Parts: sequence; structure tokens; C-alpha cells
Amino acid sequence: MAADIISSIFGDMTPLAAMIFLLIGALIMPAVQMFGKKHTVTWCVALLMVILSFVTDVILLTNDVEATYLGVKLNTYTTLMSMLFLIVLFLVVLVSNVSTETTKNHAGAYYALLFGATLGMLFVASSSSLLTIFVGVELTSISSYALVALKRKDGRASEAAVKYAIIGGMSTALTLYGISMIYGIAGSLEINDLANYVTFNDFTWMFGVGLICMIAGYGFKIAAVPFHMWAPDVYEGAATPVSMFLATGSKKMGLAVFIQVFMAMFIISATAGSIFGLTVQYIFAIIAAITMTVGNVVAIAQPNIKRMLAYSSIAQAGYILIILAVMTPQAEAAGIFHMFTHVFMKGGAFLIVGGLICAGIGEKISDYKGLAKRSPFLAAAMMLFLFSLAGIPPLAGFTSKFFLFASAVGTPGAADGTWIWLAFIAILNSAISLYYYARVVKAMYIEKGETTEKIKIPTIFTVAIVVCLVFVIVLGVYPDLIFGYCEQATEFLL
Amino acid sequence: MIPMEYFLILAAILFVIGAYGVLTKSNAIVVLMCIELMLNAANINFVTFAAFNYDIAGQAFVIMSISVAAAEVAVGIAILLNAYKLRKTTELDDAKLTSMRW
Repeated sequence: MAADIISSIFGDMTPLAAMIFLLIGALIMPAVQMFGKKHTVTWCVALLMVILSFVTDVILLTNDVEATYLGVKLNTYTTLMSMLFLIVLFLVVLVSNVSTETTKNHAGAYYALLFGATLGMLFVASSSSLLTIFVGVELTSISSYALVALKRKDGRASEAAVKYAIIGGMSTALTLYGISMIYGIAGSLEINDLANYVTFNDFTWMFGVGLICMIAGYGFKIAAVPFHMWAPDVYEGAATPVSMFLATGSKKMGLAVFIQVFMAMFIISATAGSIFGLTVQYIFAIIAAITMTVGNVVAIAQPNIKRMLAYSSIAQAGYILIILAVMTPQAEAAGIFHMFTHVFMKGGAFLIVGGLICAGIGEKISDYKGLAKRSPFLAAAMMLFLFSLAGIPPLAGFTSKFFLFASAVGTPGAADGTWIWLAFIAILNSAISLYYYARVVKAMYIEKGETTEKIKIPTIFTVAIVVCLVFVIVLGVYPDLIFGYCEQATEFLL
Repeated sequence: MIPMEYFLILAAILFVIGAYGVLTKSNAIVVLMCIELMLNAANINFVTFAAFNYDIAGQAFVIMSISVAAAEVAVGIAILLNAYKLRKTTELDDAKLTSMRW
């Protein structure tokens, strides 16, 4: 019913429906700010555009609409990933107006850049060719550089932006060189053709060089070790809503690229157990193992909570990279589900940090001493988010990690039982991660603070935190709410 | 006709020069220039493959990547200008510009 209305409005362009709202939003926001005078007006218009886009997307998802328009696909996978990115955008836009860190004088540009970045993410999720994926990733990256730099008077933010822009530019160049090699060898940019090429041809060193360049280039985007050095600096320097946007949205886009490009290319040869497929699987297994270990071990030493969360999200990217090593549809479903739970738990933790900064609490973990006395709700919510990130039942993080590790242990097919060691390393890492999460909980609950004065954070922050909290608990107890769609989405990999 | 290898070797040399510059130079503007070299190396690759494979997709890609590179440099220079205003330097290994480590 509702899906019919959407397709009657957009016609052939239904696959672009959610993106069109974002595009309109990105184009009108500066004008709205100019004529609307009040920041609240700008914020309301931005929120309206996000909700329109989100509702369109959810309707298309629940009605299983399938279509293609000029190479832009619409199926369960694309709508599910779009929903993930739009949830992130919704949470970020929701808190942007009350946050003291975001610049109100440039609200129009700020929302326009946010919309532009999300548009790129949606575009990546719906595309089936290396050209469109490249353009989408760049749209997101370039908008994010500007978003980080938008805190103009802050030295740390501009330093972070310089690092982000330079390292991002380098990763773009690497990716582009890799794509050019692969294009030269395989003679096509369509991922279907590339999958055929790797299935029916032997390994050539030139294709290998292209592949390594591409993995390295997109590895920068998801901050996989050893390409992770920018992430902690950028997350620390940027305004907290922007850090949250990068940690939850931008990073998921990188992982979506890994799923759509590498998984789609190699899943057939990996299932067949060919040497070429197995080599790629081992490359990803090693990257995943190093990424999660380095992320978790370095996070222990961080005194700043935003840096700690940055390293923890590096580690989470490592967990999700397991699916590239395992290369089965079950693993893909588990990976997408973990992306969803990660949005809520990491997003929630960043929202609390952002809310506390508005209330005048610093970013150091030592500033959180005695938080349980000062604000029982925030301390409890923070504890739940952190325990969910560590993977303690019955929270969402446990369920999604369980699916993820289970897919690594019980791999059917040629590589049966090959990845048990990877699951073992991941479980060890979960134990390490509990140490530094528990450090924050200890500061909040056991250590005595200097004052017991109550903290008041803006109401909208509380609303956003409650939304995240509800999903962290509901997805832990009832994962089928989203996991069913994740399993459906795996059918559309190629 | 010039063989394909010559173009690819030219691109590879340009790419390596660019990568060397990115890794060793400390001035942020020089680093941005080196990134441009790397991007253009990839563009030469694309055009070469498009010409020798009689496939138009590669040339379309070059148009896209040139515009992306332009946008990237525009934003990059703007960010650098802002950082220069605050910290009075564009040297990446200067402690005034890069205070955050680990």
C-alpha cells in the first residue's frame, strides 16, 4: 500500500527515493538557515528531511521492493544498510541543535555536509560498480573532512582535520590505483564481471597488486590496523556528534564496501576452496586478528574516553572483518547484524559523552568519578552500553558477537573448521576489552567524586540515549527484529 | 604505436614518486601535491587501459576521479589554511601542529 504510493511518486527512480530526500535536504539547508533566522527552524527542517527519508526506506524494506535504476539497486540489502546509515544520521541530527560543541553559526553548512556524507553512504550501499562505489565513498570522505574541521576555533579539531584530509587523500590515491589495475586486468568495473573473472581465472601478480592497493585504501576508511592512526586523533578532535557519526556511520560504509566488493568477488572461489580465494581469506583473517588485538590492547592505556572509544571501535571493526575471512552467507548476516548493534551501543556511549560535555564534564575517564551519585541514569546507561560492547549477555553486543563467532567456528564447506583460531583470538580480545570498559564503570560507581552535585543534560540527549538503550536491550533479547532481514539481505550479495 | 607497458611504467614511476613524497615530506602542501601525483598516476593507468581495451568506462572513471581530486584538494587546502591560522605552521612534524600522539 504505502510502497505503491512511493513507486507512484518516484516511478522508475524508486531506488533513489531515500537519497532524493537527502539530496533535497543537503541543497536547501543553507538557504533555510539564511531565511529561517532561528537555529531551531533549521534543525526542525533537517529532522523532517531525515524522517521522510527514513520512513521511505523502512517502507521499501518491509515491503521487499526490488528494482534497478541505471545500476542503482534496490533490494533488502540496500534498504537495510540505508536504514542503518539513516538511523545514525537521525541520532546525530537529533542532538546537534542542543550540543554545545557544534557551531550554530554554520548550522546550514553543518546539516548540508551531514546529508551529503549520508547520501554518499546510501549511494555506496546501492551501487554495483566500482565507479559508483568510489564516487560514493569520496562524497562521504570529503564531507567528513569538512565536518571535522567545522569546529574552526579549536586547535585540536583543525589538527585532526589536517591529518584526516591528508591520510584520506592518500587512501583515495591508493584505492584509485588499485581499481585501475583491476580494471586493466579484468576489463570491467562491474562487480559481477569481476566475480566471474576471479572465479574462472588464475591469480596474476598485477591483479594481486591492485587487490592489495584496494584493501589498503579501503582499510584506511574502516581504520583497520595498520591503517588506523588517524582514527583516535580525529574522534578526539571532532565535535562529539561528529565523532559519533564517523565511528558509527562512516566506518560502516567502509565495511559495506568490503562486503559488496571483496565478499561478492571472492565468495564463489572461497566456497570452492580455490587457492586464490583462500589467499584472500587469509589476508583478511590476519588483518582482522591484528586489528582487534591492537585496538583492544592500546585502548587499555587511554586516559581520554573519546580516544578509548575510538580504539574500541577499531577493535569492533576487527571483529566484523572476521566475516571477510569466513566468507559465508551466515557470516555476512552476522556481520550486518553486528553493525546494527554497534550503531546503538557505540552511538549510545558517544551520546552520553557528548551530553556530559554539554553539562560541563570533561573527556577524561577520571572526570567520570562518582558519576553514579551525580546522575544514576547516565551511569547505568553508560554501564549497559559498555557491557554490551564487551559482549555481556543479555545485551545486544553479546547476541551479535555470538552470531559472529559462531559463523567462524561452524563454517560449512571447503574451509570447515579453518577459522576456529580466529574465533579464539576474538574471544580472548573480548576478555581484554572487558578490562578497559570495567575501568570506566569502576570510576563511575566505586571511586568517589569531588562533588555529589546532580548533573542535568539536555532533554533531547536523554531521548536519544533512551532510544539507543531500548534497542541495545531489545536486540539482545529479540534479535529476530533485524536478524531476519540480515539473513534475507545475504541473498542479494551478487 | 607505443606499447602499453610504457604507459603503465610511467604511471608506476609517478605513483612511486608520489608515495615517496607523501611518506617523507613534512610540509603539508607538498604532501597534498604528492597525493595529486599518485591520483594522476592512476588516471594514466585508466586512460591507457581504456584505450587499449576499447572500453569507454575507464575514460568515464578518469573524468570522475579528476573532479573528486579537485574537490579533495579544495577542502584540503581550506582545512590547512584554517590550521595555519590557529597554529602558524604547515609542517606536519612540527609539535605545534601535531600535538596528539597515540
